[in-house]
Amino acid sequence: MLNLKKMFHLSDRGYRELKKGIAACTLTNITMMIPVFISVQIFIELIKPLMNETVSWKKIWILAAIGLAGAIGIFFASKNDYRKTFVNSYLEASDMRIRIAEIIRELPMHVFNSKNLTELTSNMMQDCAVIEHTLSHVLPPLVANIISVTLICIAFAFFDWRMALALFITLPLSLIIILVSRRRQDRLSREKVDAKLRASEQTQEYIEGIKIIKSCFLNADKFSALKNALDEMRRVSIKMEVGAGVLLSGAQFVLQAGIALTVYAGVTLFSGGTLSLPTLVISLMIAVRVYGPIITTLTLLPEVFHMQVCSERVMELSDIAKMEGSKEMEIRQYDIAFENVSFGYQQGKEVLHGLNFQIPEGKITALVGPSGSGKSTVAKLISRFWDPTSGTIRIGGTDLRSVDPEHLTDYVTVVFQDVILFNDTVFNNIKIGNMNATDEEVMRAAKLACCDEFVSKMPDGYQTLLGENGNTVSGGERQRISIARALLKNAPIVILDEATASLDPENEVLIQDAISGLTRNKTVLVIAHRLRTVTNVDQIIVMEDGRVAESGTHDALIAKHGLYEKLYSIQQQTAGWNIGTQTN
Amino acid sequence: MASKKETPEKPYKTGLPRLMELTKIKKGLCLISVVLSALAALASFIPYYSIYKIIALIIQNYPEIRDTDLMLRYGLLALGGTFLNIVLYFGALAVSHVAAYGTLYQLKLDFASHIVKLPIGFHIREGSGKLRKIMDENIEQLEGFIAHDLPDMVAAMVAPVTAIVILFVIDWRFGLVTFAAIIVSFVLQGMANGGQKTSDLMNVYQDALEDMSNASVEYVRGISVVKAFNQTVFSFKRLHDSIQKYTDSVIPYTLSNENAMAVLTAALNNMYLFLIPMGIYAGRHAADYRSFLTDFLFYLLFVPAIAAILMKVVYVMVNSMNTANVIERMDMVLAEKPLTEESGSAAPKDYEIRFDNVTFSYDKDDKKALDHISFTIPAHQITAIVGPSGGGKSTIANLIPRFYDVDEGSITIGGTDIRRIATKDLMDMVSFVFQDNFLFKQSILDNIRMGRPGASEEEVIAAAKAAQCHDFIMSLPDGYRTVFGQSGVKFSGGEIQRVAIARAILKDAPILVLDEATAFADPENEFLIQKALSRLMADKTVIMIAHRLSTVTNADRILVVENGRIAEQGRHEELRAKNGKYSELWAHYTQALSWKMERGDA
Repeated sequence: MLNLKKMFHLSDRGYRELKKGIAACTLTNITMMIPVFISVQIFIELIKPLMNETVSWKKIWILAAIGLAGAIGIFFASKNDYRKTFVNSYLEASDMRIRIAEIIRELPMHVFNSKNLTELTSNMMQDCAVIEHTLSHVLPPLVANIISVTLICIAFAFFDWRMALALFITLPLSLIIILVSRRRQDRLSREKVDAKLRASEQTQEYIEGIKIIKSCFLNADKFSALKNALDEMRRVSIKMEVGAGVLLSGAQFVLQAGIALTVYAGVTLFSGGTLSLPTLVISLMIAVRVYGPIITTLTLLPEVFHMQVCSERVMELSDIAKMEGSKEMEIRQYDIAFENVSFGYQQGKEVLHGLNFQIPEGKITALVGPSGSGKSTVAKLISRFWDPTSGTIRIGGTDLRSVDPEHLTDYVTVVFQDVILFNDTVFNNIKIGNMNATDEEVMRAAKLACCDEFVSKMPDGYQTLLGENGNTVSGGERQRISIARALLKNAPIVILDEATASLDPENEVLIQDAISGLTRNKTVLVIAHRLRTVTNVDQIIVMEDGRVAESGTHDALIAKHGLYEKLYSIQQQTAGWNIGTQTN
Repeated sequence: MASKKETPEKPYKTGLPRLMELTKIKKGLCLISVVLSALAALASFIPYYSIYKIIALIIQNYPEIRDTDLMLRYGLLALGGTFLNIVLYFGALAVSHVAAYGTLYQLKLDFASHIVKLPIGFHIREGSGKLRKIMDENIEQLEGFIAHDLPDMVAAMVAPVTAIVILFVIDWRFGLVTFAAIIVSFVLQGMANGGQKTSDLMNVYQDALEDMSNASVEYVRGISVVKAFNQTVFSFKRLHDSIQKYTDSVIPYTLSNENAMAVLTAALNNMYLFLIPMGIYAGRHAADYRSFLTDFLFYLLFVPAIAAILMKVVYVMVNSMNTANVIERMDMVLAEKPLTEESGSAAPKDYEIRFDNVTFSYDKDDKKALDHISFTIPAHQITAIVGPSGGGKSTIANLIPRFYDVDEGSITIGGTDIRRIATKDLMDMVSFVFQDNFLFKQSILDNIRMGRPGASEEEVIAAAKAAQCHDFIMSLPDGYRTVFGQSGVKFSGGEIQRVAIARAILKDAPILVLDEATAFADPENEFLIQKALSRLMADKTVIMIAHRLSTVTNADRILVVENGRIAEQGRHEELRAKNGKYSELWAHYTQALSWKMERGDA
């Protein structure tokens, strides 16, 4: 027996309800047999004069009355299956969406860098929509049809096995066609899903890059990436549909050849005298009606295959290994140690090579170096977005791998360069820093981060809604919101990832104040590109090509005449640059 | 029926008429598929006819058995009819799918072209999730209509009409009864239909679906933040709510059709009941009982065949209603007016830009971002715009390429109102380097080439060299063919910036807008970016929005913008001497320059 639950990754409740839905559909199918049964009975009654018997008109009236009752039965049965299948499928799809959201929530951070946004959301939205559709429109009637056709087949075999054979022998043949072609269909189905995903991705990119596209005056016709992706999708879709159509039509034809077979067997047996007139008539009447539902079943099969592809894709997500770690582990000291740490985003491509350094508790350490030297990667490893390929990172002596990543975030705050805002109020966007904070605490953090100045200009102050990803807020303002979040969180370790990059002159002073507030009494790691801002820190670590090139205080490093001194002097030069200067 | 809501005049057709209008995109193919489908439906009657003929032959002669060869031939006819039906229907669907996917392709391109023409404000307001959903999902639903519903619908109309004609010809009394049965079925279905309530529920459901789509985009986008703050529950709750809302709206919508569907299923499957009284009457009074029996049998066989086809009509109707509703979302966006473009584009005489009494606000009720502002940006000079954030600097940059149109006043280039310059010409005139640069997931070559699509590879490389990004591009695994965003290839902010500058250099437009272009620079990048910018700015009319005041001290003119107005303007020295807003900014700036990371309590 097919294991539907496993095949489609259903929840326990969903599976239970699916079974009920199937039962309801089977019931409807059985009530739908009443008209056929009554028609046949009436006809058998009517042909009695041919066999020299008299017609009982009363019996026909009674049959009609039973038929009427049957009609009412059909009404209730189909109302029942409609409700059972649809409501269940929406609830199940809803559960599945939430389940995917949960899975996404638990995925390690690095997944979000390697998988793209479109794929994840598409997973959540479109695959669930397919599953929803299949559960409501496809699976229950399909299974119900299989059950009722089997029942009819068995019942008829008792009645006259020869005619039953003629009627149903083509069914296995056509099923074989469908099943044999399954592999090909799967491949095409996957191809289509991929093409669709690529088209989605291009669409998303097109919409996100609309400003550039506008300013380069590339409309959709000239933006070939989108055009090609859409064209590819058209091609693959047609290929898949027509391919599926050929097979399905073939299977249908084989199946319906059963009509001719039944006629041949019936007429032959009848003329040979071994088949009675009523049996022949019944066989023929069934022959014209029985294949319709079976064809529906065959038509639905490819959809089931497609749904399986979708639900597998959903499940692939949950197979991504989670980062383990204890949620109870208490960290009491906040010095950070890198012990021989190596790391690569991809296998074989190492970007950090055997790093060894200490970030002392309660001090400010700056990480500087050319872009691509691995500074941001170090920050990401401390936040456990990734685990090192080899070596160990410890905070207060505890190996990070033994701490649950979400629990670790209680100890580490990162202020990123690119700030992500939510389509919510300014207030709630700050409160994300600490959902347990009181309103007063939120306002205090906002004030400290100098948000008052711009928020007071907004129509509803802190209750103003920001648009999608806070589109209406400038770079400097975003930065201040993000600092307010960090202030509110008040974690003992603060990592600033080039946090002062995009600020206006006025703001810069304000932010600097805010940052000073944020870093007070904390263990701080600052990734800096403006070296002048870090000349007074306790320790500077200079990185180059994934290695520590040198470290020490500003003065010590200058005296060394190494990489740091070189970088520092370049910056002194560029600070004097302005738009009138010729740089050549 | 008095409708509670006043429905505003819509600038486009809705419902089935709109869907039919859309089939015109692939008119020929749709027509072929519809004809094939109608023929297929007619062919589908052949097996019924054959079986009828066989039983008729038996009845006429019973208990004698004659004409068995003829009966077997009818068996073959049934087979032939089946074959014909399948081949024709397959043909119809193959053609209709080609038509459907062709239509989707065209519509998506048209939609994409249209949204580019809309003001940026539209994109900010609507959000990328919604627009993507329209392209990815809404337009996609038309596939079902063109590929399946349309051919089925036509077949479902042609077949019963033919069938009823046949039914009337054989025995008008039974024909009439069958016809009455069909009418009664649909009347009952109409009575059970939710009507206005259903369509209201459908709107609620569609809105909820869109909301859920937006929420999931945001959820995935924001996940890194919420994880960093251990607040996954927060964004999760929002998504959870939107999923819940969707479920809560889709179920009532679906159930509102429940009775109508059940009634129709029951009625159509029991149309034979109408025949029975008539059959009893005709049978009792039949002069020729055998021929009555043959005719009646014909109806008993045929009527269910019609029912099956009519059932399709209903599904098709429900589907079309859904599709039409979904397509309306697309039409709503298509109905958004693009920025007007006057015909007979005027060419500006030079590249001097004037803002004349310009007022603009992003939202009607919002405060004015620019408030009756007037100034001139002289051609071939460098004009810097400085001022506090939110003061209106970026708004000025956004208005020049008509990302928005002014509310009052006018902007002219070389004396010509920019609203009278064709968009293409205007875009050719202006290049930008934005603060938030965006590279597409395409090769670096293509990314730069966007500046001037016809440019040769040599020209692209020359531009990259001028933008100081040639060296780092060559160090990438596939050089200029490296695809941005492909796993393993990481770009720093400064590198992205230089690619964007290369794009602008390649474009070589006479007007250049730099919106805080040096924002994301790391030490060694900064030097390179400065070098690149110097090349880019040569001989151009430059508008530079800057926050690092040191970079603009040599500008030909500095505009200080505050609260949507010009606070002061002049050269650096003049403004310093004034002791006004600029001096204040300058003081802030130099103070910021001397700031150092150190113990806050030190």
